[in-house]
Amino acid sequence: MVIHIDNKEYNIKSGKNLLEACLSVGLDLPYFCWHPAMGSVGACRQCAVKVYKDENDTKGRLVMSCMEGVKDGLYLSIEDKTAKEFREQVIEWLMTNHPHDCPVCDEGGACHLQDMTVMTGHDYRRFKYKKRTYTNQYLGPLIHHEMNRCIQCYRCVRYYRDYAGGDDLNVFAAHNHVYFGREKDGVLQSPFSGNLSEVCPTGVFTDKTLKEHYTRKWDLTMSPSVCNHCSVGCNTIAAERYGELRCILNRYNGDVNGYFLCDRGRFGYEFVNSENRIKRVIIRNRAGEASTEEELMQHLQPLVSMSKIIGIGSPRASLESNFALMQLVGKQNFYQGISEDEAHLNRVCIDVLQSGSVHSASLKEIEQADAVLVVGEDIWNTAPMMALAVRQAVVKTAGAEASQHVQIPVWLDSAIKELAQEDKGFLAVLNVSASPLDELATHAWHATPDDLSRAAFAIAAYLQPGKLQADNFSEELTNQAKAIGEALKQAKNPVIITGVSSYNDNVIKAAFDIAASLNTAGRKTGMACVMTECNSMGLALMDAPAFNHAMDSVRPNGHATAVILENDLYRHLTPNLVDNFLNKCDHIIVLDSLHNSTTEKASVLLPAATFAEGDGTLVNNEGRAQRFFQVIPNADTQVKESWQWLWKMQMLRSQKVNGHVLHPDELLQKMETDMPQFKGITSVSPGHDYTIHGERIPREPHRYSGRTAIQANKNVSEPKPFYDGDSPLSFTMEGFKGVPPSWAVPFFWAPGWNSVQSVAKYQDEPNGSLKGGNPGVRLLQDKKKENADLFFKDVPEQFVITKDKWLLLPKFHVLGSGELSGYTKALEVLSPELFAIISPKSAEALNVKEGDMLQLTDAGIAYGSLPVKVLDNMCDGVVFVNAGSRGTVGMNWGTRINLAKVN
Amino acid sequence: MQTLIPHNADESRRMMQSLTNRAKPVDRRPMNFVDRLYLPAVLKGMSITFGHIFKKPPTIKYPEQTREFSPVFRGLHVLNRDEEGRERCTACGLCAVACPAEAITMEAAEREPGEENLYREEKYAARYEINMLRCIFCGLCEEACPKDAIYLSETFAPSNFARKGFIYGKKDLLIPNPVTQPEEYAKAKGKR
Repeated sequence: MVIHIDNKEYNIKSGKNLLEACLSVGLDLPYFCWHPAMGSVGACRQCAVKVYKDENDTKGRLVMSCMEGVKDGLYLSIEDKTAKEFREQVIEWLMTNHPHDCPVCDEGGACHLQDMTVMTGHDYRRFKYKKRTYTNQYLGPLIHHEMNRCIQCYRCVRYYRDYAGGDDLNVFAAHNHVYFGREKDGVLQSPFSGNLSEVCPTGVFTDKTLKEHYTRKWDLTMSPSVCNHCSVGCNTIAAERYGELRCILNRYNGDVNGYFLCDRGRFGYEFVNSENRIKRVIIRNRAGEASTEEELMQHLQPLVSMSKIIGIGSPRASLESNFALMQLVGKQNFYQGISEDEAHLNRVCIDVLQSGSVHSASLKEIEQADAVLVVGEDIWNTAPMMALAVRQAVVKTAGAEASQHVQIPVWLDSAIKELAQEDKGFLAVLNVSASPLDELATHAWHATPDDLSRAAFAIAAYLQPGKLQADNFSEELTNQAKAIGEALKQAKNPVIITGVSSYNDNVIKAAFDIAASLNTAGRKTGMACVMTECNSMGLALMDAPAFNHAMDSVRPNGHATAVILENDLYRHLTPNLVDNFLNKCDHIIVLDSLHNSTTEKASVLLPAATFAEGDGTLVNNEGRAQRFFQVIPNADTQVKESWQWLWKMQMLRSQKVNGHVLHPDELLQKMETDMPQFKGITSVSPGHDYTIHGERIPREPHRYSGRTAIQANKNVSEPKPFYDGDSPLSFTMEGFKGVPPSWAVPFFWAPGWNSVQSVAKYQDEPNGSLKGGNPGVRLLQDKKKENADLFFKDVPEQFVITKDKWLLLPKFHVLGSGELSGYTKALEVLSPELFAIISPKSAEALNVKEGDMLQLTDAGIAYGSLPVKVLDNMCDGVVFVNAGSRGTVGMNWGTRINLAKVN
Repeated sequence: MQTLIPHNADESRRMMQSLTNRAKPVDRRPMNFVDRLYLPAVLKGMSITFGHIFKKPPTIKYPEQTREFSPVFRGLHVLNRDEEGRERCTACGLCAVACPAEAITMEAAEREPGEENLYREEKYAARYEINMLRCIFCGLCEEACPKDAIYLSETFAPSNFARKGFIYGKKDLLIPNPVTQPEEYAKAKGKR
């Protein structure tokens, strides 16, 4: 529809409010309380505009643009004198108590309040009286609290309580002394609390880990990056100064994470700066272990050219690195560095998603689903942002339903909340143990993986009668299946979520059956399979055998050399298996970024780049390939991307040292021709020689300071800025100054918009996709196929609890699980200790109480003993062991093990 | 067509016009007897020379004496302290971002409890460096500073044999403590 803003015509999508409309056409209008992900409440009175009756009306009336919907042929004015004065007045009021402590404030330079103050033109303080002050609270190791800076926009509590579902942050008191905080000092409980630092328009909530090495936004070298800490693949901005990673910021991607990140992703970056980093080439068992590159090449020459080489890939290394390893060792000698079980589960996920019978759902699609079923995956802990998306689905469905009956647009947040009250959209959680998601669920049921899959098969049987043998389901199960199945049938966009962490392929198969049955005409069904690591999907797509098969290929005295790529095998596999393999190999070459149990066994250790020092591509659980770009210059160190090391080794092997510099895009091109499943991957980003009008995209903002001083204490001669030929981004502040293509946005900034709110200038519309489409290439294409093609019919037997054999399952933790994120001290403090977790009934059967020690053994493997923790709301017959955190070792998850009390 | 471009040296001399009207044509007549005696000319010259004995000397005896500075003179930078001797700089970075030579860099740190006598506000510069080789002494850092923490003093940048001696850190820039070293402080502060 057409509206007139300051006598100019604009085409606007209907259903928006005036503020969104103004922002979407690129106009500047100040606001505070409105947030694109949270809607309008009209609390701050900052976005006032004048609306006119018709073209002849000269008087007009002031309205809050966020509270008024667009109408065809509407006349409004942003520039009107009264409206401008009103906005200036409002900000003057807001600023009466603001401490003006910008020089010491962490938000300074990236502050929405600064931007808006300048935008409205308020520049002189007339309020001469004492400012009100508050006592700040300790909110835990992640978020810093500075209440004096507050301007009462209510965004924090709306985000924390309504959006993220936390309940320990609230607003207290009244009048001009309202207080946003906790009831008393304490750690914020929500694992999404880090977003407060971006949601808050000023510096009340700031990133506490950044305080350790504070840098202004304008001084950071920034790159588009992808989160490494789970399989969801949220888009991030990695920021560097003085050769150190300083912080992780959210990078908007309308299809994936939107405006938010989880705390593991936001704060789990400190491993990059860790003292435990491998920074030098180490050749063990000789006089000087640290070596130069020439020495290394001499040493490697016989190893790579003479003997048989076995490559062990990694689910946390980039596609490029895994592929370079495959090129080096040959396809027949390349193995996934994960257990047979996990590889099988990943394979099942890929098979069902590639079948074309269901659509692999993105986070955005989960957020927009009107019914969600979670089967056998604790997404709150294994894929936190997916849990947040599910929460939005549940809340938004209720809101959308409520708004259908009355004429209230969905963005009118408080009215919709009032209308919906306690109503919720449909969510069923079938899981092994309880999670905070259960509170939202219409159905929450806890059972062993086998029983969960039986329940899911029962639902599939209800949805497609006659396809499954339904006679051995109990009446309770059938009734439950009917209730869930009926709700799913009502939905237009249902999403089924499952994953590998219950180590049971029947769970995935049953979830697929449900999704396939629902995927009928007029209903778009999505399916999401959560995996364990950031590139689990990419590695699985390469279709290599699991680690266990690598053992068989090494003959005794076969003189084999193992090349292990960025993988602590002891975390993914049982110790005996790994020891057995490593003992068989003559030489062990390990590429990794941090010292761990596997690097200890290496005879040659190569310093691999982390995501911050290298370029690469990761594939998330949706099958979306996403590129990350280097941000820390590595000119003075030996640290290199693994694919570069492997390329050098390949040159050695083929004895073709022709000085050819390899670029990641060439590797992807080769990959596309060699492996058809990666078709389209080259379009994840243009080649390394891409420029815009001959200019590259600068990683540094144009206000970047200290260019001639920053390295001066090391070298006064000012060497040339670091240059890596890998990408179209440059390590300088010179280059293309406009809005870069969406896959290469190193930071969000627009004239007058220094804060993260400037993302609106990079989008087609607020909350929409980035200009030119959201980045990432979907590798799993929807194919039009008949549902009948793939349907699993083998329903497993009911789980039988035995007293001597217990089902061993991993228990992940939202902040604590993550090999790399565990290096962040703040997250380490917040993650749980190692426990063997059992249900009260199981504890009774084992005759143990909380705190007792339990001995875990599995067919000869002694896992040691762990203290017992008793957890209500989990099923009997299962023992959980905390997994994924830094100190844990690989176990035979999903098998039955022996438990014995240690006296 | 008349051209303004000279074709040879003679032509260029002819075309050259004097910039002022004070130019005197050189007297090229042959010298007479009095001229050839040289004495009048010598005496004339000597009278100018000796005349200076009675005039005020335009030079001063540097370094014993120093010249009066203009109030806007911009010399070496000083990182200021407040009257209690606490560092004023909060490492906000505005001087660095204002610097046209990009010669200032700093790292901020949080003040710990018990350090209130060292730093005026809750943040301070753990590291503060100016590349004096790059600095153009424009004074924009002083202008940008919201905390009155950096100003350009009346001191010249000294000479040095090594380039790296011109990377000034906090120990070179920070003014002496007015409480513990009042004399040095007064000297460093100058007339500001």
